[in-house]
Amino acid sequence: MSFFSRFIVDIAYFIHTSDAYQHKKRFVYDLLENSRYKYKKIFDIFMIVLIFLSVFILIAEVKHEVPLYIKYFNVYVISIIFFIEYILRFWISSSVCEIIINKSEHDTMLGRGFSLSRALFKVLKAKLSFIFSFKAIIDLLAILPFFHELRLLRLFILFRVFKLFRYAKSFQIFASVLSTKKFEFLILLMFTSIVVFVSSVLVYVMEANNPASKVNTLFDALYWSIVTISTVGYGDVTAVTTEGRIVAMFVIIAGVSVLAFTTSIVVSAFTEKLDEIKEVKTIDDIRKLKRFYLICGYEHVAQEVAKKLANSMTSIIVLDEDEHRIAHAKKDGLVALNYDPGDMQSYKKIGIDLSTQVKSVLCLRESDVENVYTTLTIRSMNKDVNIVSLLMDDSNRKKLTFAGVNEILYPKGLVGMIAKELIGRPVAFEVIHALRNEYYGVNIEEILVDERMSQKIIYVSELDNAKFRIVLLGIYKKDKKRFFFNPLDGTALESGDYLLVIGKSVFIKEFEKHLHKKIKNEK
Amino acid sequence: MKNKIALIFGYNDYALEIAKNIRDRYEDIVIYSLHSEQDILKNKSNFEIKSFDLSDNWDGIDENFDFENSIAFCVLEDSAENIFLTISLRSLFEYLNIIALSNNKETANKLQMAGANRVIPLVQTTAEMISEMLEKPIVKEVFHKILFESGELKITQIKIHANSEYVGKEISQLDWESRYGVIPLSIVQDDMKSEFIYSSKIRHHVIKEGDMFVIVGYETCIGDFEKLIGSRFDVNWYNWSR
Repeated sequence: MSFFSRFIVDIAYFIHTSDAYQHKKRFVYDLLENSRYKYKKIFDIFMIVLIFLSVFILIAEVKHEVPLYIKYFNVYVISIIFFIEYILRFWISSSVCEIIINKSEHDTMLGRGFSLSRALFKVLKAKLSFIFSFKAIIDLLAILPFFHELRLLRLFILFRVFKLFRYAKSFQIFASVLSTKKFEFLILLMFTSIVVFVSSVLVYVMEANNPASKVNTLFDALYWSIVTISTVGYGDVTAVTTEGRIVAMFVIIAGVSVLAFTTSIVVSAFTEKLDEIKEVKTIDDIRKLKRFYLICGYEHVAQEVAKKLANSMTSIIVLDEDEHRIAHAKKDGLVALNYDPGDMQSYKKIGIDLSTQVKSVLCLRESDVENVYTTLTIRSMNKDVNIVSLLMDDSNRKKLTFAGVNEILYPKGLVGMIAKELIGRPVAFEVIHALRNEYYGVNIEEILVDERMSQKIIYVSELDNAKFRIVLLGIYKKDKKRFFFNPLDGTALESGDYLLVIGKSVFIKEFEKHLHKKIKNEK
Repeated sequence: MKNKIALIFGYNDYALEIAKNIRDRYEDIVIYSLHSEQDILKNKSNFEIKSFDLSDNWDGIDENFDFENSIAFCVLEDSAENIFLTISLRSLFEYLNIIALSNNKETANKLQMAGANRVIPLVQTTAEMISEMLEKPIVKEVFHKILFESGELKITQIKIHANSEYVGKEISQLDWESRYGVIPLSIVQDDMKSEFIYSSKIRHHVIKEGDMFVIVGYETCIGDFEKLIGSRFDVNWYNWSR
């Protein structure tokens, strides 16, 4: 390897491993391309405003005298902003360092000398593919009004409108839906072109020599043909000869057909893509959620769990590979996606962040095999997320624990324990069952003692729970992981403690309000 | 003297779990199987397995067992068979306590109509536990310890003595938390329906001899409380549930 090549590769490694450089590039990428980045929306809105301002100034200039500074703003400031954006997009479109490093490592691995020219050729190819992409061309055309001396180039401001495709997702969806019918549109375009060409020539031949006709040139004939086939029919140019009118009748019929076909193609494109569009929207909505429960598998238990959790403040997302079960979940009013919860690709496609967004994963398939598989998939992506799983056969308990499930629920064992309680202490069992289900309006709740509360309410006696007809069943000390039943009045409250209170639901709410009010009043 | 017996209908994991959990309370536990021959062969548990048929008349069975204090669990996997079994048992043994397992609400209603004293809705109960695990983990842990584990904290039923100082007092005047370290949750009324003591209509109920309370407390506190106020009382399950 020559000294120069070595130097280039060293620089490439240096830049590629530089945290500061990568951090900056990542920031630019997030701002321009990452729809999940919180500041991207602000950036998009800013660019959309610039585009509309630009077009508005162009329109105002036609009939009014626009102040010079506004002209400068339009021509220079906006253009320079667009130019900077173009350069940044050019920068992040591909990594020059990565291409050089990959080429160098590839050549070294194969035992041949590093070819800098080949590496640079690859870089050039990557960058040219960006330059000649449709969106990049639009971006470039949008910068051209900068050269305002060329008056025609002012009209390139209109290209800025096309830039809206970059910033408004709905435009992108619209374009992608229509692009699925490229072949049909091409056939229609060819048919229309042939009709226009043949009818223009025919009308020109039949009308051009007739002094009463306004079709004097081939251009007039082409204009008439397009106006007629589009069913607009201005009437400024018409066929006057019988032959010309016969052609006109055919063109009108062809025009109606073209219009009908176009409409049906657009409609069918949207109908076919409707589910996909809805799915994209659902995924977008999921990405915006801050916390949710992820239910993997929507069978009987999952359906009941979803009903129970419906009142909680946390959203529920359902994943299942079975179409019918997903349809059922949607019918139950849940956000559901027909994705296999045991497939890692599903999570990548949806873009779920298991560590920050998911409160708990519920593996609720009524099959231990499926639940173990899903658990392993999730654990391979995230080690900390809480996983709750159903256990159908007790002999599989260890397998689920080994796979990484945090909490297991074994319905058959539960039935045994319930049977024991039902024959031993039926009244007590029923009372707790009623409390759990908030029968008769009486409920048991956990109230967190936060930092502020623990500073203002020092002892249990200061809670005033009796005033609200609330019974303090006990305090759960999180740090000691111990439950203190019926605590004495002098028991100190600490931040992170949980109060377990029993009472009428409405009174519990009032009591909670009272606790928070007490903190405010004592401030 | 007739024996207390637990009859479990259906040989499956539910039956074995129930048998394991109740074995110290019943002198005899018999698991009845619809497919006894193959079930007896694969039986690795210590429980006796007998065969039965849905058309059985159970002639003579009540001569050996005290059916009023016995219990039957209907845990057949087929809902229709389970309902048919329940209605057959009820039609033959009026006072037998029947607990049945159901997979859904519809079956639960039918089982109750067929005469089951108590139905365990499997799916709903599992879902309840899961949602409590997620939304109220501490409540779940505390209740689990109180109900299912042999810890110090207990829940029990107490019947008020005639000489108790609380006879004649209103529920709102109870001070058991501070005096005895036990928390009353509900009172069981004459019609055997329990009423939470937090409800407005029961607050002014005047306590009389024989009133039954459900209380929570440490074993030692309940012991002391018993000596002064009332004794533990086992409810006749049949009366409570019907």
